[in-house]
Amino acid sequence: MTERITPAMVTATTLNDINSSLATLERTSDELSSGKTILEPSENPYGASQVIDLQSQLDGLSSYATNAQEGISWENTASGAMSNISNVLQTVRQLLVQTSSGTYNQSDRESIATEVDQLTEAVKQDANTQYAGQYVFSGTTTTTAPYPQGAEDTYQGDNGTITRAIGPGVSVNIATNISTLLGNGQGAADGKLLDTLQTISEHLRGGTPEDIAALGSGDLKSVEASLETLSQLQATAGSVTDQLQTASSRIEGLQGTIAASLANVEDANIAQTSIAYSNEQAAYEAALRAGASIIQESLLQFLQ
Amino acid sequence: MSIPTLQGLQTALSGLIAEQAALDVTGNNIANSDTEGYSRQTAVLQTNQPITIPAISSLTGEGAQLGTGVSVATITRVRNIYLDAQYRTQNSALSEASTQSEELTQAQAAFNEPSSSGLASQISAFWSAWSELANAPTSVPAKQEVVAAGVALTNTFHELSAQLATISTQAGAQYAALTGPTGEVQNDANQIAQLNGQIKLAEQAGQKPNEMLDRRDLLLDKLSSLAQVTVSEQPDGTDTVSFGDAAKPLVEGTTVNWPQELTQAAGGKLGALLGLTAPGGALSSYQAALDNVASTLASSVDALHTSTPFFSGSTAATLKVAVTAAQVQTSSTEAPGGNNVAQAIAALRGGAAEQSYAALVEQIGAGVQAAKDEQANLQTTVTAIGNQRQSVSGVSLDEEMTNLISFQRGYQASARTLTAMDSMLETLIEHTGTVGL
Repeated sequence: MTERITPAMVTATTLNDINSSLATLERTSDELSSGKTILEPSENPYGASQVIDLQSQLDGLSSYATNAQEGISWENTASGAMSNISNVLQTVRQLLVQTSSGTYNQSDRESIATEVDQLTEAVKQDANTQYAGQYVFSGTTTTTAPYPQGAEDTYQGDNGTITRAIGPGVSVNIATNISTLLGNGQGAADGKLLDTLQTISEHLRGGTPEDIAALGSGDLKSVEASLETLSQLQATAGSVTDQLQTASSRIEGLQGTIAASLANVEDANIAQTSIAYSNEQAAYEAALRAGASIIQESLLQFLQ
Repeated sequence: MSIPTLQGLQTALSGLIAEQAALDVTGNNIANSDTEGYSRQTAVLQTNQPITIPAISSLTGEGAQLGTGVSVATITRVRNIYLDAQYRTQNSALSEASTQSEELTQAQAAFNEPSSSGLASQISAFWSAWSELANAPTSVPAKQEVVAAGVALTNTFHELSAQLATISTQAGAQYAALTGPTGEVQNDANQIAQLNGQIKLAEQAGQKPNEMLDRRDLLLDKLSSLAQVTVSEQPDGTDTVSFGDAAKPLVEGTTVNWPQELTQAAGGKLGALLGLTAPGGALSSYQAALDNVASTLASSVDALHTSTPFFSGSTAATLKVAVTAAQVQTSSTEAPGGNNVAQAIAALRGGAAEQSYAALVEQIGAGVQAAKDEQANLQTTVTAIGNQRQSVSGVSLDEEMTNLISFQRGYQASARTLTAMDSMLETLIEHTGTVGL
């Protein structure tokens, strides 16, 4: 004997089919409207943990990108200041060449000395350049001006390093130790830029033949040595900027790669999902239609 | 000896009565075609004791047996008790899996992953705030941002922990409500015990109390969703009902033994609720894992933030930011521009705390997935067994309609037999012995 089929069974089965069709349809519709294939961890537990991991990596990369951009801006500020100093040194060098030729009289030299004093202050001012409220040439004592305006010529900063993290375990030192260029002033007699400039000013004011001779020989050499030191500092800063820029574009590339992996795991394939959606819609309609016509049939209709 | 004169009338009458009874049973089936737990009934007809028409002499014993019609022996319900037992076993398992899946889904929803507002993104935002601070170690807003991100993070920990605790509490409350003095278990057991008493009386009187049996079976089905139910039918018609892993039978005759201790091995909804809330159960293991994430995070940050601990508390519920913006340490040196501490903390991204959190999310997801899969499988099984039961016990209207016609025709034919007998008797009474009148 075949299995008995009762209307209650048909009703229950039909209802079950319709419900499950509708549930599938709703799930696909959620996927389509959210654009995500993992709506909750239970749908793909490993995928969900991957999403968390990849998202964190992506956030980390955007931090590194910010750090690199910050570093580049910092270095640009520092480079700007250093090229100002370089201009000053070029000016001083020209003045030295002119004054050592001996066509200037004492009062000319006095006024040049005043100009050199002003240029000295300008150098200190450039050394006190700030980026976002931080002195860029003070080492880690970023809240202290490295060379306060006025008589004090001792370097107020330290030779600490300031780093920007541009990758896991990778960081770049963006601090430029300006004291290797400027030194600690005449008091220290260290032959560095401030000492040199003050000595030049003294020689200009002194006006003795020895002084004038010194302007063209020792002083000029000191200025040229400072220019050399400065160009080294500039080269270092430039290479740091390069490094940061390379890191920045590398990070951008990585962001693309990881975003793609994330999309692979997390994002719905819209084309596929749309096709699935129309299939499921057809299945749902079929279930409805079949249900409606099967349930209506009964022997009762045919009995008179 | 010959056939009793009025025997034919009696036979036709028995046919009328039997067909009427069968029609009534059919009517009852149709009326109950949508009644939950109803088993279709059939009138069991049997022939009446025949009379013997002796061939020659009653003494020889030879002769023909003449049937004397039909009578309704009993009205039985069509039911397969083995399918009932199977149904209840699977129904308990289904109910257990459904409860697990419901509760764990709630826990999963509380975590709200993957999203841009879950704990993972809060942790990520916390590291980003430290990274920003490393770029501007002297910036007060950056320090405030670190503290704010820390507070947002700890708040999320508190919420998650509280939600897990609430789910656990609610599961406990649900268990207490179901097993309490006015709960479902007590009510169902009382009704079963009462029906046991009535069924016993009816069976003693030789009746088949089909409706009461159906009602008792329906109650047992309901009870099976709460815990595993084993039914043993006693000779007196009462059911002895074992419930879950309770020591004594829940119902024995007309006695109800409730409340009793159950464990998570009880199965069904009650077993699942006990299992989820038990120490070492899913909810407490999630809570413990969340606490572990919180304490790992706090200790890894505090190990670097050496000036004063950044966090206080070591569980998800108690974790707090213990510093003000001014106390946020950016460097291990006094230098204001130092950022090694901020950088080191920002570099904790992707570390042990996040990994154990991702593992927790995976664990919850896998738990829900397993419970849902099991639920779907068992649902299929229960539906299949339910269909088998329906196939045996369900009312088929087509079948009832066919029976209706058959019984109706039988009734009409019996009435026609009665008419024929009547006309036979009329011939005998009215027209016999009137020759020549």
